[in-house]
Amino acid sequence: MVDEFTQTLLGIMVAVIMLGMGASLTPRDFYLALRRPYGLFIGVVSQYGIMPFLGFLLALFLVVPETIALGILLMACMPGGTTSNIFTYFSKGNLALSVLMTVTSTVSGVVLIPLILTIYAAALDIEIPREDIVKVLFVLLVPVAIGMSVRRLNANVGATIEFFGSILGVLFIVFIAVTWIPQNWQFLLNTTSATYTAAIGLGLVGITIGYFFAKSLRLHPRNARTVALETGIQNGPLAIAIIVFTFPPEQQQAIMAVPALYSLFIVIVSTCVTFVFRRANTAAEQKMPDSLL
Amino acid sequence: MVDTDRPWQAYYGANIRPVLDQATYRNIPDMIHSVAETYGKAKAFTCVLPNGMNGTLTFKQIDEMSDAMAVYLREIAGLNVGDRVAVQLPNCLGFPIAAFGILKAGCVLVNVNPMYTSEEMAKQFEDAEPHVLITIDMFADKVVEATRGHPIPNVIVTRVAEFFPAMPRGIVGLVQKYWDKVLKPIEVPHIRLPAALNAGREHIKNDRIEAEKYSQEVTLDDIAVLQYTGGTTGVAKGAMLTHGNLIMNMEQAMELLAGDMQKGEEVILTALPLYHIFAFTVNMLSFYWLGARNILIPNPRPLSNLKRAFENYKITWMSGVNTLFNGLNNEIWFRHSPPKHMKFAGAGGMALQAAVAERWREVAGCDVLQGYGLTETSPVLTFEPLGKAREGTIGIPVPSTEVACFDEHGQKLGIGEVGEIAARGPQIMKGYWKKPEETDNVMIDDWFLTGDIGVMDEDGYFRIVDRKKDMVVVSGFNVYPNDVEDVIATHPGVLEVAVIGVPDNSSGEAVKAFIVLSDKTLKQDDIRSFCKDHLTSYKVPKRVVFRDELPKSNVGKILRKDLRAEEMAQMAAE
Repeated sequence: MVDEFTQTLLGIMVAVIMLGMGASLTPRDFYLALRRPYGLFIGVVSQYGIMPFLGFLLALFLVVPETIALGILLMACMPGGTTSNIFTYFSKGNLALSVLMTVTSTVSGVVLIPLILTIYAAALDIEIPREDIVKVLFVLLVPVAIGMSVRRLNANVGATIEFFGSILGVLFIVFIAVTWIPQNWQFLLNTTSATYTAAIGLGLVGITIGYFFAKSLRLHPRNARTVALETGIQNGPLAIAIIVFTFPPEQQQAIMAVPALYSLFIVIVSTCVTFVFRRANTAAEQKMPDSLL
Repeated sequence: MVDTDRPWQAYYGANIRPVLDQATYRNIPDMIHSVAETYGKAKAFTCVLPNGMNGTLTFKQIDEMSDAMAVYLREIAGLNVGDRVAVQLPNCLGFPIAAFGILKAGCVLVNVNPMYTSEEMAKQFEDAEPHVLITIDMFADKVVEATRGHPIPNVIVTRVAEFFPAMPRGIVGLVQKYWDKVLKPIEVPHIRLPAALNAGREHIKNDRIEAEKYSQEVTLDDIAVLQYTGGTTGVAKGAMLTHGNLIMNMEQAMELLAGDMQKGEEVILTALPLYHIFAFTVNMLSFYWLGARNILIPNPRPLSNLKRAFENYKITWMSGVNTLFNGLNNEIWFRHSPPKHMKFAGAGGMALQAAVAERWREVAGCDVLQGYGLTETSPVLTFEPLGKAREGTIGIPVPSTEVACFDEHGQKLGIGEVGEIAARGPQIMKGYWKKPEETDNVMIDDWFLTGDIGVMDEDGYFRIVDRKKDMVVVSGFNVYPNDVEDVIATHPGVLEVAVIGVPDNSSGEAVKAFIVLSDKTLKQDDIRSFCKDHLTSYKVPKRVVFRDELPKSNVGKILRKDLRAEEMAQMAAE
């Protein structure tokens, strides 16, 4: 359950996160994403090809109630999150590529998320409030647009919003941990291990598949690591916002289980992956030192 | 009318005068002030960080702040005309304030590479004997060690986000301190740059001092900058560049761009370090003079640090070295959205590879033209005229400059004859600081010998065929094999060492060390990390090979040229 205060706070936080994401963008990014289909291709395939299919398989084969399955599917259909950019930074990946992929998947999400959700939900025989989801996605594009214009008017204000937005991305997870978990403690104790498997597996398997997908495209190891993180790390706050604003309160607890647990576990998973990637990066650096400027 | 001694004049564009008048300013401070009068509230310098946070100063602010700097140096630090002030800063707003303030005070600016280790700094300080050091908080921890030999009583410390609006400045400071952990405690007594400026302003107000009076006594023939270089022999020495040298080279460089660049309208990107003579003269002095807005990048590595600058500003010109252009050609974000407003780019510091220039044209949609010069020549000597560049050449001499090839007896050679490239013109240095014998080695009358072996074709285009000295040029930075060998030789497990430069696709040349070990268990990485402790990163050998012996002459001198020949033969075979 989410009380009204928490709900408002969640809404504000997501809005600020999206504002920050907007401040990291220029209109040129959109234009380019459309003009250069290769980046778009990688982003779209990993976010809306690999991840939803993985979510679909998890929902299909794990024995979970319909509401949990819906949560898995929703989480799997989300675009890349801004936290992926932070982890890419720490794992010494290609930050520009990470940002580009997050942007591409967020923007194309307006069309693709409802579409893919509808298909998989039909396959799993689950009902979804499609129109409401589209509405929330659109509403959340407003702060993105505001963020973009702010940056255009003043780069310093833009960069500051972006900075606080990404900090809030992390704080959001802390917020979930301290508010949602205690409130839903009993529910979490009673839920089956399948729910946890889905919440952890989505990120872990997503990163793994993303890595091999990038490898199969013969991307540079650094870029492959970036694509991997980008694929596995979803926009958790967005999923939670969609649930809070589109589903009736009595259903929210169960639907939100996987997105909330995913948001917590992805931090742990990504941190471990970042350590592995950093080591791989150091090894590569010793073999071929980056040239001097 | 084409001068037969200067066939290149036929290739000057219509806007280029072959001979420039005497300098139009009394000295650099005169230029700084009168330019500020013209452009006043226009934006002069903007420092842009990787996340887009930035700070801007106008021409008027730069003028006012450098006045305050000058007054601080003269009245509070107690300096006199000709006293040296060391500046060890990356590109940031503090740089032009410090540099202009020093020159306005009639003092001599000594540029120090901020990446230097304390050992390297100490050597330079002992030679230049600066009275004041202006440095940045990130590197100030090296000062104690570096000033053991030559104590510097006054240390002024700035920071990368200095003069930014309060919010971004605070955020950058916090991130640097607690996140990146790049700010170490500063153990020397020091004053912060804004405090020093305020102290200077107090004096201006209370004692009615005008900074202008300090530079009244400075002539074009007085030293403005001591720019350190290994020169042709590898002994570190300060090239004495006068106010006249720099003003004339500034005008020579801008003459080439006349017609293509508009006064007061350009936005230029300075990703190359200002402590290097190329960016110092061309980016900082010349484009300030043109009234351009100068976008300063504190650290261009990784290259994605430039992304926000390219997105947020309409860059019309940039300078770079081969490595930078090559790097940008290979960045996804740059290829996808190349700068739309760029007219052309200028390359220097190292040979620009034809393939890189060609690829740049495809990617960025504009030309990249290279110039050639040395620290001793302020630096520009030759350039490629727009639309008339010739592959494999360094172009033609700039106005008011003669370039010729000399034989070993100091005789001028004719067209097509290979010899040492020499130059004369108003940009040739006054000499080396406190090293007259070194100066004599490189001057024949008023001709300066570059140490590069070249040839001139019938149209006056020059081509470099070899280098007289063993110097290695890594991405525009000179590395002297002696320096590197001296360090490696101190390693207890090393018996003998020889260092040469080898061609390298990314940096032009790379440092390669050939080592005979006494401790056979040592690995390449041990040597490299040992070097990293004692040398700036660009001097650290990119390649290390172990040998059982090194080629030697009959008197036992290690023959670097044999190693080089071996390397070339091997490359040819591949």
